[in-house]
Amino acid sequence: MADMVSTLNRPAVADREWIARAQDRCSTSRFLLWLTPWTLLLAAGLYAAYLCLRYGLHQTNMDNRFVFGLWIFLDLAIIALGAGAFFTGFLLYILRWKELKAVIATAVIVGFVCYSGAVLVLMVDVGQPVRAWFTFWHPNTHSMLTEVTFCISAYLVVLSIEYLPILLKNRKLRKVPSFLVFEFEMHKLMPVLAGVGAFLSFFHQGSLGGLFGVLRGQPFAFREGFGIWPTTFFLFILSAMAVGPVFVMLVTRLVEAVTSKRLVRPQVYQVLARTSGLLLTFYVLLKTIDTLVWLNSTSRQAGYRPWEYYAWEPFGTWILFAEIVLLGLLPALILLSPKWRARPGWMLAGALLACAGVVLNRFVLTIQTLALPTLPFEQFLTYMPNWQETATFLGVIAYGVIVYSLSYRYLSLFPQEKELAREGKEASHVS
Amino acid sequence: MFPNVDGFHWTFGHILFLSIFFAVLLTVGFTAATALARMMRNLRPKKVAEIRWHTEFEDLPASDRQCRHALTGAAPGRVCENGFECRHCADYPKFSGTAPEPQGRLYHRGHTWVERQPDGTFLVGLDELGEKLIGAGAQVELPAPGTRLASHDVAWRMGKPGNTVRLLAPVEGEVVETGSREKGWYLRVKPESPWPDLRHLLGGAAAAVWLDREMERVQALLAPAGMQPTLADGGVLVDDLPKAQPEADWHAIHGAMFLEP
Amino acid sequence: MNAETVERAPRRYGMVIDLDRCSGCGACMVACSAENNVPPAHPQATERTGITLLRVVQVKDAASRGVAFIPMMCQQCGDDTPCMTVCPQQAVEVDKLTGVVEQMPQRCLGCRYCMTACPFQARFFNWWDPEWPAGMETTLNPGAAPRMRGVVEKCDFCQSRMHAAEDKAAMEGSREFEYTPACVEACPTRAIVFGDLNDPESDVSRQARNSFRFLERLGTGPKVYYRSRRPWLRTLASRVGAPPKKENGNG
Repeated sequence: MADMVSTLNRPAVADREWIARAQDRCSTSRFLLWLTPWTLLLAAGLYAAYLCLRYGLHQTNMDNRFVFGLWIFLDLAIIALGAGAFFTGFLLYILRWKELKAVIATAVIVGFVCYSGAVLVLMVDVGQPVRAWFTFWHPNTHSMLTEVTFCISAYLVVLSIEYLPILLKNRKLRKVPSFLVFEFEMHKLMPVLAGVGAFLSFFHQGSLGGLFGVLRGQPFAFREGFGIWPTTFFLFILSAMAVGPVFVMLVTRLVEAVTSKRLVRPQVYQVLARTSGLLLTFYVLLKTIDTLVWLNSTSRQAGYRPWEYYAWEPFGTWILFAEIVLLGLLPALILLSPKWRARPGWMLAGALLACAGVVLNRFVLTIQTLALPTLPFEQFLTYMPNWQETATFLGVIAYGVIVYSLSYRYLSLFPQEKELAREGKEASHVS
Repeated sequence: MFPNVDGFHWTFGHILFLSIFFAVLLTVGFTAATALARMMRNLRPKKVAEIRWHTEFEDLPASDRQCRHALTGAAPGRVCENGFECRHCADYPKFSGTAPEPQGRLYHRGHTWVERQPDGTFLVGLDELGEKLIGAGAQVELPAPGTRLASHDVAWRMGKPGNTVRLLAPVEGEVVETGSREKGWYLRVKPESPWPDLRHLLGGAAAAVWLDREMERVQALLAPAGMQPTLADGGVLVDDLPKAQPEADWHAIHGAMFLEP
Repeated sequence: MNAETVERAPRRYGMVIDLDRCSGCGACMVACSAENNVPPAHPQATERTGITLLRVVQVKDAASRGVAFIPMMCQQCGDDTPCMTVCPQQAVEVDKLTGVVEQMPQRCLGCRYCMTACPFQARFFNWWDPEWPAGMETTLNPGAAPRMRGVVEKCDFCQSRMHAAEDKAAMEGSREFEYTPACVEACPTRAIVFGDLNDPESDVSRQARNSFRFLERLGTGPKVYYRSRRPWLRTLASRVGAPPKKENGNG
């Protein structure tokens, strides 16, 4: 009887051949049950995407004013959150922060999911997706979007190559000699890819910020800058670097909560939180200076006074306060203080607030920019995404969850898992 | 992309931008190609075995990578970084004087042992704990005589349907004869040199300490969470552990004890 | 672009619109749509998703109880043209010989970045496949290619007409030609004057001297000028003062 119960809780024989021996994973049926809702969501997203591609973008709630909607906002947000991939890789392989080895696989997969998801949504978002290659053929080098397109596609290639060794380390795949040796050789060359990834990320994270910063026609978004780069270029890089590590931490904590396992040592979280706190503080400082310069100089030169932007409900001055103080300064201080971040609850709250702050920043720059009128006789407009837009995006989230779940089950993402499981067992004996 | 096609023209910006982009692509492509080329070069059985052991060793938890001198107490807490190959260890000269070369049965950390025979061949077997971990009636897949083995290479496989374990070769050489559980050994191996390097194996006092620790480990792994180890008084293990405790996660236990990921 | 046309002195086409003459009749909008083969709006299209390359906006002034109509189209920005600099694949170009900002729908990806860059809301996306009622295709203007779904379009000062005039002149062995955009021709009150701003003697140059432009302080250098004797309209255009309360919509 005991035998039957225990085998029921374990993966089926054929399935378990693919799972590393040391990894305790749920039964096959339970895993399939977990995947079912996500697969349904993915199917709904694919159907919505099909509608948009087949019948045109009138299937969305976007219009000639709100030419960018939910999709671009969330693309910007997930690309910022996915910055953990390049930044963790940079810290681990270039700066040799060895402790980050514990989360590098998660960082790479989160980055891969975020970037590939964003590119998938973009392919639905543009009016003529089959013409995407035109950008490579007739590039306009003055456009921030050209830089974004080039860098993101190149970085997606880098992320795929970085993902490959993690994939090839699967228990069954590593039995193929060429996979095993390729993984080994690739791993030795990882610093090169980490360097290239950091270079590409630096530019496209920045260019995504520059995307709106260069818009002279949108005084709410326009910023002066250095050379060809508006200040938003640098602020985006900094904010993405600041939230990347804590987002990796949040994902890991979420996986720990869902699987009720310890996967990463608390010291690693401390390193991630401290790094984010430091960068976030710097970001909040620069963002404050930038906001003051913009409101008092840049925007005044264009003939717009600060209060004009915040006269339209629901986008009052509270949004500025929320972005800089509530979701900027506050999490920065929590993550910076060793006393506060030592408490798991506080650290989690700080990480959540920091991520929310950067997401709000992306929201302000996309949605609020488009909502505000520029011409004197234009109106303030609002926009709500419809089900096709929402479903497409939820589909991408589901895609991410599925890719990560499969990776978690069949690949070894957490090198400390084995040790922590053993320590946990020993601790339970002692008690 | 090309000047004068569809009204396109080069500017300084294009040249700068495109050269950076293609430099990046070339770097990425060159890196991937380098890895591929090195992979092709290393696809020799001996090298593959070496790389397999290297990657698997890297993934072992620190507690499984104890230095032999940590076991004897000469260097407490020291963790091996060299795949147990003392010949690669920078600190080897520091330790070599302290312990005599072990004699008799030498143990690999994957529970295989090797014993030198007077005729210059080596018998390879599975230690007592290993036999008990796998249990009676296991199917054994032995390599045919003539097969060349490298140290830490997969020597043979055994187990029950659905859970087969691979056992690691403690010594390099050519398989000249196969044995069985009843004979007490599984392979007779003839090394290229009559005195092969066996410094990665444990013997004497180190082996005794290691075996004690392994015994403790088995008990910890077997004990259901929250219960005391069952053999705390130093009792003897039953002969067929999987049969005695079928509810345990044998898949994981075998992985941990035979160093299989 | 062939060698012959290069020899011509570059022009800088512009417009002056007298807002005091505009009665808001909308004839220019009709002429514009007909000239440029803009398909009838899809039944589901709203004022936010329709295509009005030229739209006439009604504005009111509470203090003076004034009402005015503002014809608004691509302002043909000449200084660092915002839409041209942002287009990732050079689907927007400023013609050096005419100063006209040209959109190439056949190269457009439909990313709509140019639409966020345009401060004048003068760019339109084809949210639907273009469809004409049966038989109406025969009335299409052969000089202007219809645009497909998923690309951006805008006013180009009737390039179709310009090319027709150019071709006609060439047939007659001349390089000199003049042309009039459809809206200018259709306006019953002659509120719109069109011509070469590089020619100081032209009507458009003379009238532009005493005029204003919308959002001039953004520094995009529009080439569409507006005239009015009403001070509140001038104030409105330069945006010095608080924005008017929401009172009216597009077109």
